[in-house]
Amino acid sequence: MNCFEFRKLLLTDPRVQTPEQERHLAGCDACANLAREMGAFEAHVHDALQVPVPEALADRVLLRHKIRAPAVRTWALAASLVAALGVGIYFYRVPLVEHERVLTAAALGANHPAVTAIAHVLDEEPRMLKENRGVDPVVMRAAFMRLGLNLPANGTTVLYFDKCPMTGGAGNHVVLQTPFGQVTLILVPDQSFGARVVVADRDKTAIAAPHRAGGYILIADSLRNVRQTEKLLI
Amino acid sequence: MLSNQKNSQFETLVRAYSAELYRYAYWICRDRFVAEDLVQETFTRAWQGWEGLRDDKAAKSWLYTILRNEHARSFERKRFDIDDAADLDGLIDHTTARPYEEIELRQMLAALPRGYREPMVLQVLGGYSCAEIAKIMEINVGAVMTRLTRARLALRKLAGVVAPRKVNNL
Repeated sequence: MNCFEFRKLLLTDPRVQTPEQERHLAGCDACANLAREMGAFEAHVHDALQVPVPEALADRVLLRHKIRAPAVRTWALAASLVAALGVGIYFYRVPLVEHERVLTAAALGANHPAVTAIAHVLDEEPRMLKENRGVDPVVMRAAFMRLGLNLPANGTTVLYFDKCPMTGGAGNHVVLQTPFGQVTLILVPDQSFGARVVVADRDKTAIAAPHRAGGYILIADSLRNVRQTEKLLI
Repeated sequence: MLSNQKNSQFETLVRAYSAELYRYAYWICRDRFVAEDLVQETFTRAWQGWEGLRDDKAAKSWLYTILRNEHARSFERKRFDIDDAADLDGLIDHTTARPYEEIELRQMLAALPRGYREPMVLQVLGGYSCAEIAKIMEINVGAVMTRLTRARLALRKLAGVVAPRKVNNL
């Protein structure tokens, strides 16, 4: 593959990288720089396309159709999340970088914890928020401290905090209302799931990253919002 | 029992895709009120044609296609008057750190002809491959690839004019 072919493919879809493209990147600094720059620009485009959605749009659609609430399937979905989280066996800290490649769910695989977490948030979180369970601040602070994460204070409120059953222990499902919008945080204290990844699926973006002896998954409406929240946590 | 299952599946679809469909609708019609109407109509038609959905995995593409057809039908009825200035306030997301920079990029995206903007939206927001976009837009894969390439080149050129993101080696 030459530079022309590489750039042609890059412009068609900057998020996809074939083995042939990877080989070309390894030996071509100019194309590697361009790929990084394109990745960053693509993230800006992704964020710009995320125009604000009218509040309670889904509720209005459902109201129109007079649809009842779905059956409770929390444990089934939680179990699949647990199984996916158990896949990761490596843990190491990778520094935050500005020009991260945003992967698609298809590229990462449906069983990756970040992809499963996005599905869990989209499918179950609206109902979980309606349950409006009380938050124990002591337990919550302990969960954050265990992973060495800051509990954001100014301008951030906790909408939901509860245990999230996992293989070999328990994690936590946290929903935060931050200055950058609603963000979900999955705390995984005793397990890690490999290298840091950024994935965009449907209208959500997630970062899954190892941290200390565990890891976390952050999910929000845009890459910018996820990154901004991550800066508050670390 | 079957009705409950249908209701449950329908609500799952609405909660999973209404926001995504709204954004797609917005970027093809560029009017937030029309975009919400399109989402409502899309789900109404999806409910009416529920039996036509054979494969759950195809639901997302099915909804996108319904919305696209519904938009085409609406355009046959009337042309929408788009007042960019009036719509701007509604587009400003004050929760982002740099709302005005984002608006610049949104204006650039809006400046792209729809035939170029739409495959970008389908790829970047919908996560679709070129082949899937070709199916939704009913054009061939080569045309999709060409439009995506040209759209990105145009966006980068526009960005080079208003923001320091110009790349000289393209």
